[in-house]
Amino acid sequence: MIDLQDVSKLYGFGDATTLALDEVSLKIKEGEFVAIMGPSGCGKSTLMNIIGLLDRPTHGKYMLNGRHISRLNQNQAAKIRRDSVGFIFQSFNLLPKMTVLDNVALPLTYKGMTTARRLKTASNMLERVGMQQRESFLPSQLSGGQAQCAAIARALINNPKLIIADEPTGNLDSAGSRLVMELLSEVHKMGNTVLFVTHNPELTRYATRVVYMHDGTIIHDEKTKLGEVSPTARRLMYSVPVTTEDDDMAGVSALMTALPVKTSLNSKRKTGRSLGRAKKSKRTSNKDVIL
Amino acid sequence: MKTLAYGHIKTAIGSVRANKSRSFLTMLGIVVGVVSVVSIISIGEGVKSQIRSQINHYGRDLITVRPGAETAHGTFTDIKSLVNINHAGSLTSRDLLAVEHTQGVAYSVPLVIVGGSVNGGDHSPGSITVIGTTNRFASALNQKISFGANFDPANNAAPTAILGSRVAERMFDDPVPLGRSFTIRGEQFYVAGIFDDFATAPFSADVDFNNAVFIPYDTAQSISDNGASMYEILVEPRTSNHDDEMVNALTRNIAKARGGQHDFTVLTHAESASVTNDILSLLTALIGGVAAVSLLVGGIGIMNIMLVSVTERMHEIGIRKAVGATNRQILMQFVTEAAVLSLAGGILGIILAIIIDVILRLSTDLQPVTSWQIVLLALFVSMLVGVLFGSAPALKAARKDPINALRNE
Ligand SMILES: Nc1ncnc2c1ncn2[C@@H]1O[C@H](COP(=O)(O)OP(=O)(O)OP(=O)(O)O)[C@@H](O)[C@H]1O
Ligand SMILES: [Mg+2]
Repeated sequence: MIDLQDVSKLYGFGDATTLALDEVSLKIKEGEFVAIMGPSGCGKSTLMNIIGLLDRPTHGKYMLNGRHISRLNQNQAAKIRRDSVGFIFQSFNLLPKMTVLDNVALPLTYKGMTTARRLKTASNMLERVGMQQRESFLPSQLSGGQAQCAAIARALINNPKLIIADEPTGNLDSAGSRLVMELLSEVHKMGNTVLFVTHNPELTRYATRVVYMHDGTIIHDEKTKLGEVSPTARRLMYSVPVTTEDDDMAGVSALMTALPVKTSLNSKRKTGRSLGRAKKSKRTSNKDVIL
Repeated sequence: MKTLAYGHIKTAIGSVRANKSRSFLTMLGIVVGVVSVVSIISIGEGVKSQIRSQINHYGRDLITVRPGAETAHGTFTDIKSLVNINHAGSLTSRDLLAVEHTQGVAYSVPLVIVGGSVNGGDHSPGSITVIGTTNRFASALNQKISFGANFDPANNAAPTAILGSRVAERMFDDPVPLGRSFTIRGEQFYVAGIFDDFATAPFSADVDFNNAVFIPYDTAQSISDNGASMYEILVEPRTSNHDDEMVNALTRNIAKARGGQHDFTVLTHAESASVTNDILSLLTALIGGVAAVSLLVGGIGIMNIMLVSVTERMHEIGIRKAVGATNRQILMQFVTEAAVLSLAGGILGIILAIIIDVILRLSTDLQPVTSWQIVLLALFVSMLVGVLFGSAPALKAARKDPINALRNE
């Protein structure tokens, strides 16, 4: 279904050039549930954006369902995004001025469906993700988990075969994460291909395959059993404390973030994105301490 | 596609509403442009229809002789000639004789202006014109006398007066002040009759007859010691359809009486009304220029605010593109928004113009006519301005690639 051959992505030019992806080759078959892991800045999001047609590779060949993606014009790419790909973001990306129902119905608008049918379809989809009571809420009135469920409903509304989730649980607590991952599992069970990025090794238990990245390349790729945390990920969990970019820059070790005072200080200063990560490093470091 | 357009309109109205005061300020240029266009066209239409009805009322075959050389139509000198009526010299009783002796003339009616104040009555009449003329005046203009009687042709020197309808209203409390007396230049006059409303056309070179007092020609000469100036001779031809011949013959004869001087003008009534038309065209052109400039300014305002809006909503654009909106669909969304914004300005402008029309109708002689064609045109133009000036910002939005747009928070 997905076939990347020597795909590279460069950002910027001159001295400021960043090689975000370095000749990545990756094949994903229909029905796989792939977790992508790796340290911050290793190019996970870049890869997801390219696979989801939000971005284009600088070099290399990308085939989706047998179609040569780099040759498509913007219009064709938009239609594939609309019909074949569901994208789920870490920060939900719901339109703040629209109700949940309208947000979920948005992709159908661009298909030219009538309002009545659109809202009916969206309502059904919300029911499937267990959100029917919150149809008329604004995104700001939802909890993080609920907002992500609405975003998933939006991603599913066109019945795309491919669902891409870039750190879908990054802004959520463990209950919210479980809710979202269970939903994605449902989607996978219905025969869809699901790709998700995570920093949490625990979540690899939902996946059938785990891809590890480092510095823009894939360093490890393994099949795993559903319901079991991948062995590599387990090792990651217990031995290598996950440090974040922010910690590195501040010269603070992951262990230090275990201190409650420090953590809260850190999280106050950081955006929601790094907040989630701070929590995670805290959790892993805790385990480290216990061991 | 239809439902998408509907969706765009709904979003557009939402975003215009979300920034009410900003939207209003943006619309202002369009509002001013549309108000000026709509009201000037309405006023013009009104005046034209008033002229038309005046011509129809007075009869197409009426010919007027005025002092002053003919000027080319359609130039600024028309306004001058209008202002300078009393400085252009005047016609004389020799001219009147020449007119009467021209072949084909059924009768002619002199109009002289008598200077001096009008007193008496229940109220001061304000500024009015005293006109000396003959009993034929009424029939030359097909004008009815609603109360009382015309001048007695047998007694052309009687101290009688016929009032214009507005003078009658202003001077006297009685609804029908027949027989009441008042003075002109100290001489006593009696109200013998009251004219029906004259059809008037604004900007017309004619004296406003509704605001005039008419006295017999000979009386006018005697009370002003023959100093009354004859500013017009109305000529009723025996047969119609020979206007040009008639005008030529009159011109020849009067010129002979004046020793070959062509310092007078002979016009058919339609021609004299066209002077009004020329002034109107000039005014329309001027205000049209103002309107064009304000529409341009309004358009630039819309472009500016749309650029701000597109920048502000980059993240939204990113989301929409991520869920499958094509460039075209984003383009349409923002063009629609610009169009809705300027259309709202247009609608506001039309409403204001209609209010101005009503005020003008109530307080002046103007009778503006706002036709549905003008309204449609204004709506179309304002929408066009929005589409034209909104497309550059909309293109900017449409061309942004999804991932860069999404990075904007
Ligand atoms: N728009 C951009 N311009 C320049 N460099 C960029 C841009 N986007 C990403 N990069 C760089 O590309 C590299 C990969 O970024 P990417 O967002 O894919 O990382 P990631 O693996 O998703 O990290 P995280 O776990 O923090 O989300 C990073 O070094 C980043 O600095
Ligand atoms: Mg990322």
